[in-house]
Amino acid sequence: MNAKQLLATDRAALILQLVPYLIGKGEVSLAEAADEFDVTVEQMRGMVEKLTVIGRPGDGGFWQMANDLFDIDWDLLDERDIIVITNTVGLERTPRLTAREAAALLAGLQLAATLPGVGESGVVQGLLAKLARGASSAPAEVIVAPGEVDEARVTIADALQRGVAVSFTYQAPDREPTTRTVDPVKVHIASGQWYLQGWCHLRQSMRTFHFERISDVRATDIPITHGGEPVPGLFEASEADAVAEVRLRASVLPLLSDFLDPSSVGGEGDERTAFLRIADERSLKRLAARHAGDIELVAPTSARHAVRTWAEAGLAQYVSSNEFPSGDAG
Amino acid sequence: MPTESNRIAPEERLVNLVVALMATEQGLTKDAILTSVSGYREQHESGASKDALEKMFERDKENLRGLGVPIDTIGDHTDPDDLREARYRVPTAEYELPGDITFSPAELAVLNLAGGVWSESSMSAEARSGLRKISALGLDVDAPIIGYAPRINLREPSFAPFQRAIEQGRVVEFDYLKAGEESPQRRRIQPLALLDYEARWHVYGFDLDQDAERTFLLSRISSEVKITRHSFDVALREGAGDKALAGLQEVAARQSALVEVAPGTEAALRLSRRGTPAEQGIRVPYVDVHIFADELASYGPEVRVVEPATLRAQVIARLRRVVARHGDADTEGCEG
Repeated sequence: MNAKQLLATDRAALILQLVPYLIGKGEVSLAEAADEFDVTVEQMRGMVEKLTVIGRPGDGGFWQMANDLFDIDWDLLDERDIIVITNTVGLERTPRLTAREAAALLAGLQLAATLPGVGESGVVQGLLAKLARGASSAPAEVIVAPGEVDEARVTIADALQRGVAVSFTYQAPDREPTTRTVDPVKVHIASGQWYLQGWCHLRQSMRTFHFERISDVRATDIPITHGGEPVPGLFEASEADAVAEVRLRASVLPLLSDFLDPSSVGGEGDERTAFLRIADERSLKRLAARHAGDIELVAPTSARHAVRTWAEAGLAQYVSSNEFPSGDAG
Repeated sequence: MPTESNRIAPEERLVNLVVALMATEQGLTKDAILTSVSGYREQHESGASKDALEKMFERDKENLRGLGVPIDTIGDHTDPDDLREARYRVPTAEYELPGDITFSPAELAVLNLAGGVWSESSMSAEARSGLRKISALGLDVDAPIIGYAPRINLREPSFAPFQRAIEQGRVVEFDYLKAGEESPQRRRIQPLALLDYEARWHVYGFDLDQDAERTFLLSRISSEVKITRHSFDVALREGAGDKALAGLQEVAARQSALVEVAPGTEAALRLSRRGTPAEQGIRVPYVDVHIFADELASYGPEVRVVEPATLRAQVIARLRRVVARHGDADTEGCEG
């Protein structure tokens, strides 16, 4: 019963937003309005139809008159799937933001403020103040700590805006450094890490670069030529990916969501099995060591062996020392 | 979804109530609402008990307030506790987005970018709803800012109850596994701010048992977050976010590790960006010994921790666990 109540409240919230939206639009298709409100076309039709029985109470207990209710152009709706509101009885102005809506936007703005070319303009400061004033009650403070924006980030963002290629040294793990020239297309920030997607002149394809592995960046004066190529999702699976079978704790599943196909997860309780996809098999040892004891590489055998060798080599550095600690507690 | 003729859908009743309460200057009494506002009126006429209708009205008021709809109660001046003759209204000035708040085309473009950062979380729906309200103002917007895809990850289920408790100024209780301890402890805090620091969510608050401000990693909370009935003065929230941030920055400033890195490796690349060169390697600041140990373990032989001893022990323990879990049993015959 509680869930149903919530749903009704959510639908009421949508109707309160719908009236000013329709007035602002003047004339809008069912499909466009449905898209804007994240509902299906039929749900939007239902909401609009419902609107026409909503209105002011009748005077002195009499039934409501037609002009006490919201109304729409029924012909346009029935014949052309177009919404036009023809009578309003209130709610014309857009409601204030709820505390939570304001908090969601305020936190997003803090992240946007760190982007070169977005943050410096003073636009963000003005917006923070407006949103705080436009909320119906004080939002819970949600802080997004600013990360460091170094010169590489500024150079790449600037090249992206100007539409010129950048050149830099790239050092992927376990590989020799290479010099790349890249048409920058998109800068991603995910889990606090920055990535550049762009057309790599060396590899002749769209590639993703981790900012931390980029050095010696400079903008070239070569206009970009492959900016319009399709850009895959940041962690989109590729045919070339290595696939590894792992045993892992349920608690690390969410941390690996970028690499694993949820349908491949097996087992119950805390001990699970899954298949990971990863661009470079050599990175598996790093992943397993980062989640020490929570992930076990099962196959391929070569990767399992590499994990063990990796950890043993790490340990050997301490074994050779005279002050080798005997326990976990230090 | 057909409705019976005398049963009005609850969302219709809720919106009718808002319209009625906004249309009145002097307010409507409960009686007037129950007998005239569509949704109540029909149930009243079909003989629903006054008690049931009044309860429904109370619930509706709470739900609408939850949506940010301000509902004023105008009581008896001589006896404010006597609500029998109270009148209710929605003050339009507090309901509507203030008319003097407008947004430039450039501001709207930034706002659209900001609203898109929440991937796959309840905050995503909140951000979209907020943007929808602003776009209903019908203002011109600049071309979308392309070339950036900023995302904030939010997977912790405890975020939502903390947010609600901060809004309402309520004490919360939860089990917390402190770094380096064996079993979780029950904590009671006045939550004051949520903080995303180095891509990890923290809650900052006043710990009632420790009698001091504390910051907690959401990923170490091992129980549901219980919102208690105990409230606190929401004025405590003032400036809490800045204090929480300064606190973590201060920890990073005074806590650092000395590490040796193999040149030309991933470890050298990543750690030297954050650290400063020292006589024997690099000094790297860190906030949480366990999180840093996870990272250092991932570098295997590329890094050796010189100090502090606690960090070194943590890294060694991790590497041992990795070796133990990747023993020979499953690879028999494959090793020479």
